[in-house]
Amino acid sequence: MASMIIETAGLTKSYGEIRALKPLDLTVPEGEWLSVMGHSGSGKSTLLNLVGGLDRPTAGMLKVGGEDLLGRDEDGLARFRREFVGIIFQQHHLIPYLNALENVMLAQYFHSVPDEAEARSALERVGLGHRLKNRPGELSGGEQQRVCIARAIINSPRLLLGDEPTGNLDHGSTTMVLELLRELRVEERFTIIMVTHNQEVAAWGDRTIYLDDGVLVREEKKLVEG
Amino acid sequence: MLFRILKNSFLKRPRSIFLVFLSITMGAAVATSFLGIAGEISHKMSLELRSYGANILLEPSAVEGGGFLREVDLPKIKTVFWKYNITGFTPYLFGLVDLTAGTKHERAVITGSWFYKQLLVEGEEPSFQGIQVIAPWWELQGGMPQDADEAVVGASLARRLGVVLGSRVVALARGATKPFRVVGIVTTGGYEEEQFFAPLVTVQSLLGKMGKLSRVLVSAVTVPMDAFGKKDPAAMSKEEYEKWYCTAYVTSVAKNVEEVMAGSRAKPIWQIASAEGALLTKLNSVVLLLTLLALGASAIAVSTSLMASMAERSPEIALMKAIGADRLQISAIFLGETLIISLAGGIVGYLLGDQLAALISQSVFNSAIKSPLWLLPTAMVSAFAVALAGSAAPLRRAFLIEPVKVLKG
Ligand SMILES: Nc1ncnc2c1ncn2[C@@H]1O[C@H](COP(=O)(O)OP(=O)(O)OP(=O)(O)O)[C@@H](O)[C@H]1O
Ligand SMILES: [Mg+2]
Repeated sequence: MASMIIETAGLTKSYGEIRALKPLDLTVPEGEWLSVMGHSGSGKSTLLNLVGGLDRPTAGMLKVGGEDLLGRDEDGLARFRREFVGIIFQQHHLIPYLNALENVMLAQYFHSVPDEAEARSALERVGLGHRLKNRPGELSGGEQQRVCIARAIINSPRLLLGDEPTGNLDHGSTTMVLELLRELRVEERFTIIMVTHNQEVAAWGDRTIYLDDGVLVREEKKLVEG
Repeated sequence: MLFRILKNSFLKRPRSIFLVFLSITMGAAVATSFLGIAGEISHKMSLELRSYGANILLEPSAVEGGGFLREVDLPKIKTVFWKYNITGFTPYLFGLVDLTAGTKHERAVITGSWFYKQLLVEGEEPSFQGIQVIAPWWELQGGMPQDADEAVVGASLARRLGVVLGSRVVALARGATKPFRVVGIVTTGGYEEEQFFAPLVTVQSLLGKMGKLSRVLVSAVTVPMDAFGKKDPAAMSKEEYEKWYCTAYVTSVAKNVEEVMAGSRAKPIWQIASAEGALLTKLNSVVLLLTLLALGASAIAVSTSLMASMAERSPEIALMKAIGADRLQISAIFLGETLIISLAGGIVGYLLGDQLAALISQSVFNSAIKSPLWLLPTAMVSAFAVALAGSAAPLRRAFLIEPVKVLKG
């Protein structure tokens, strides 16, 4: 049995009166592709942010890669994010004044040292070898999202988080991005947690969990084929 | 990479960069010019203050009666270590005489002195010394004596003797008489109004004290006394003594003069020396305060424009944090940016401030100044200080940005 990359027990997040996440117990085995579904406001992003070290829980236990994240201070969490996590947002959030190559190198810079050759090959890997010097404004939505993927995987994270990464993409680009993620997962062997509203997209995962008002209400496991 | 980020972010926001640059430049320019003329002001002010009276008194050191200073030593005053700080000096010889003017008689103090005497000292620039130099405030009706038998009479003595300009007064001392012509009547509000002033040589021969002096008043440009200056030189170590001797305290200049006047004891005239010192110290603190205020103002300006651009850049900062930038890395980017601007601001500020100082000095003191080299580092340090101080609040704001809130949606 694979070891658990994520373990939570009684994980809770409240914003004042609003309880975005009710006590949640969740385990995610290393290497799994987990889809997270639920209607708007059900706590999907909240869960993702906690797991990615972008936010702190109000209560409960949260272990990622065997380490209790609650013990880390702000800079400790920043280190955790750059060493352990790759994040893909719905709004790609690229730095507008840096070109594709530089946006990828920025993640290297915060992680350790920028390596142009490596950044270039990551962009080639996502099919953007010909658009290295273009700024985000000069790229299509799908291309921007692929720059984000290149940036997310550049430091070989163990955990890849996506908050509706295909939410803004058309069907063709969505399939392209998901296929890319599938290939990369085979090579890089990271765990994927992806929030989506789209049943079809969720179906790319090994397992789907459903949140409703901060509570895990249901989960579906894909039958292992063959 | 840092360089690429900075370069691109510079090109991206030239307006806000320019604003920050302008604020820093202003601060550095004002600091440069204020500090540049501060030294000048002190110097000029203390020169002006010299016209309010001598600040060093030389008297015979012999405690009891009969001691005199020697006139032959006087030129040496122009050769001492601090000679350029000595703006003037005047010798005095005092005696009692019986004065007769027409039918009136008065017993009075006769003062032999220099009025405006050219002094030639080998190897030194010729100079003028005398009462006119060290006591320019004298309110003189008529003029200063030019000839050996001309005299200036104190106003109240003149009233009692009933003399006016051109009157004849005969002085009697030791059985000898000497006639004088009154060429000036002096009003000072002080003891001078009771005295009878005549050229030094004349009085020396009348009193039979050739080459002798009762006292010498010296007017010197000095620096304000500080804690170190007040220490007792006798108790100083060799290094301390050297430092003391090479600082233009009124005490060290006095010591300097005392060394060349045989049998003399030099005393600072404290009322004058300390009033001047207090004034100069105040002046310097005012300049320093103004400089600090100007720097503070430009730090606030820097802070304001950085704050504004920080609001605009918060998505960028949130993103950097989300992909793992810690506080040090965030600081490096923003401080790097402001420090580069301040480097340019410091240099330009220095050049501007230098011009400004020259302009101010020209219009206020009517003299050109050459600003000292230490002003460049001073300008740079001010620019950096302004940049750092101005970055504090924006940086704090950057630290407080929460990526989850900014990147939502
Ligand atoms: N910073 C915040 N302050 C207050 N309430 C918040 C904050 N962030 C989220 N919430 C609330 O927490 C709940 C869960 O929000 P979350 O963003 O996790 O929902 P979501 O499932 O991602 O929704 P969507 O599908 O619309 O993105 C919502 O009710 C939301 O209003
Ligand atoms: Mg969400």
